[in-house]
Amino acid sequence: MKRNPLTLVIAGFLLIVFIALLFFGQVRQSTVVVVTTFGKATRTIDQPGWYAKLPWPIQQSYVFDQRVQNFEDDKFDQSLTADNYNLLSMVYVGWKINNATNFFPKFANGSIAEAEKQLKPLLRSAKNSVVGGHPLADFVSTDEKQLKFGTIEQEILKRVQDQVNQKNWGIEIEFLGIKKLGFPDSVTQAVFKRMTSERAVLSSATQAEGESEASKIRTAADSKSTEIVNSASAAATHIKAEGQAEAAKSFAVFEENPQLANFLLSLDAMELALKDRTTLIFDQHSEPFNLFQGYSTNLLNPVKK
Amino acid sequence: MSDQHDHPHDHDHEHDHDHGHDHGHEHHHEHAHPAPAAPEMAPQEDSSSRALAEALGSSFGIVKWVMGILFLLFLGSGVFRVQQGQRAVLLRFGKPVGLGNQALIGPGIHWGWPYPIDEVVKIHYAQLQTVKSDVGWYNTTPEKEALDQEDYAGPSLNPAVDGYAITGDGNIIHTRAVLTYQIEDPVRYEFEFTSASNAVRDALDNALLFAAARFRVDDVLTRDITRFQDVVTARVTDLVQRENLGVVIQSCQVESRPPRYLKPAFDSVLTALAERDKAIHEAESYQNQTLYRAAATAAGVTNTAEADRVQLVESVKAEAQRFTDLLPRYNANPAVFANILLLDKIGRVLTNVEDKIYLPERADGKTRELRLQLSREPLKPVGTP
Repeated sequence: MKRNPLTLVIAGFLLIVFIALLFFGQVRQSTVVVVTTFGKATRTIDQPGWYAKLPWPIQQSYVFDQRVQNFEDDKFDQSLTADNYNLLSMVYVGWKINNATNFFPKFANGSIAEAEKQLKPLLRSAKNSVVGGHPLADFVSTDEKQLKFGTIEQEILKRVQDQVNQKNWGIEIEFLGIKKLGFPDSVTQAVFKRMTSERAVLSSATQAEGESEASKIRTAADSKSTEIVNSASAAATHIKAEGQAEAAKSFAVFEENPQLANFLLSLDAMELALKDRTTLIFDQHSEPFNLFQGYSTNLLNPVKK
Repeated sequence: MSDQHDHPHDHDHEHDHDHGHDHGHEHHHEHAHPAPAAPEMAPQEDSSSRALAEALGSSFGIVKWVMGILFLLFLGSGVFRVQQGQRAVLLRFGKPVGLGNQALIGPGIHWGWPYPIDEVVKIHYAQLQTVKSDVGWYNTTPEKEALDQEDYAGPSLNPAVDGYAITGDGNIIHTRAVLTYQIEDPVRYEFEFTSASNAVRDALDNALLFAAARFRVDDVLTRDITRFQDVVTARVTDLVQRENLGVVIQSCQVESRPPRYLKPAFDSVLTALAERDKAIHEAESYQNQTLYRAAATAAGVTNTAEADRVQLVESVKAEAQRFTDLLPRYNANPAVFANILLLDKIGRVLTNVEDKIYLPERADGKTRELRLQLSREPLKPVGTP
């Protein structure tokens, strides 16, 4: 009988497991469970953990994903803006089941795919009506004040949410954003033409700007250079004048004997005048050649000293 | 055979022991094995029945062992490994064990109860995650891009295939972005969203449109690339916070291009810009040269003037000094002194004078007549043949 306890433990364990499978269920994190009693929803359990239930066929459990679903509206819909532009738009939506009891009878077996299929037309009509209520400048504009990008997204979200609430789908729209904006094919062609001509204008304007800028710089350089040279000349004149004024102070000495001063200056002037390649013609009356009178050549010595 | 006959009692005893055990075992397996009577009758049966009972008994023994091993394997199946770059969350009856980041199990070998008690959810937890947005990019594939092959770009864009963004000034550009982010709240990231990374990518798509919608085409492409990128990053950061995705944006790289069909037109503007810059640079270099030259000329003029001034002042000073030196001697005997000075000067001057012509008086005492031919041939410089 020594192995009895182990056998009993295992038997007991398996029994517990079997009963547990019949009478208990678990709610996994991020899911919600709806328990039906004879096919009618009687309980919703959205907190993770275990719960008690009666075995099939009395009660049955349905499990739903409670996470936020990413849903992209796969059609690039065209709608008219308030100022008659054809604008294509595509949005993305984050939605989740917020009331599983309401949710599961609405869609085949509470299928997420089915719900998204039903959500699509709602999204489309909300989008079209909101786009129609705004001019193009609310979507794209260089003026930040004019842009209503966020407002438009909020408006679409609100419309979708209102519709969903009205239909009592048990769905909550967590977030909604514009994913794509575009123009129809033909409009892009027109935009391309306009962009091409804008480029041409910009190109020639840039070239002209370069030329005018360059010539401005050159002219400025020339006038500045003239100014520099002129002011230097003025400074030079000033310096020279200063020199003359300073020199004039020294001339005061000459007043002590103007006769001598004149004489000395005349001598210097004469020396300066006879510096290069001069021809002097003397006769015997001019000093010191008067010494030649009488041809006494030995008297030439003092002259040659 | 005789040996077998010798120990029937022993065998029976043993069997009795087993019997009790088997009985319990039988109970347990009643549903599975509907042949409970055989061991009961065994003692009364003949040797073949006993052999059968023995065989059954030993096979139950094997079943017990197998069960034990299965149970151990069952427990052992709860061992799991978390790899580097991963985290795991243990769900006990569907509920995370621990709160928030404390629920995270790091890399290594761990154990949890096997399903359905515990469930291990592994979370990709590499430091950085990356998403790309090419909703605004033209139709291409990474292979084509790698080979630098591009399809013919037509004069319009088909909204079904070509992605693009509309700029604030109503133009069209292609723009795409690569975003890296870090998972800040892995539990939220994993359990609150079916695909949080898709939600991040949607937010990035939206941010590109949002930013393009308020910029001029030239700002996006050339003048204000950084600010454009900043606006995209700010918007996507704002969106993931608002949507509470449990991630933190690390960086965002944005790339933009003009439509391929308009490339020549955009290139001509770029060429014009380059030419403008070139013209301006040339003008600036002319400006520098001119100003340097002017400065040099100016310095020359003032330096010369300065030198002239110094020279004038110094020479006059020297002159004055000489005058002062000579004055006492002159005053002593003006006539003689003047004469000495004069003769001295004449002597010096005459050494410099090239041609000296002396005209003696004619015999009759009259002055000789002298004829000069002006504009004579210039003299050859000294040293030339």
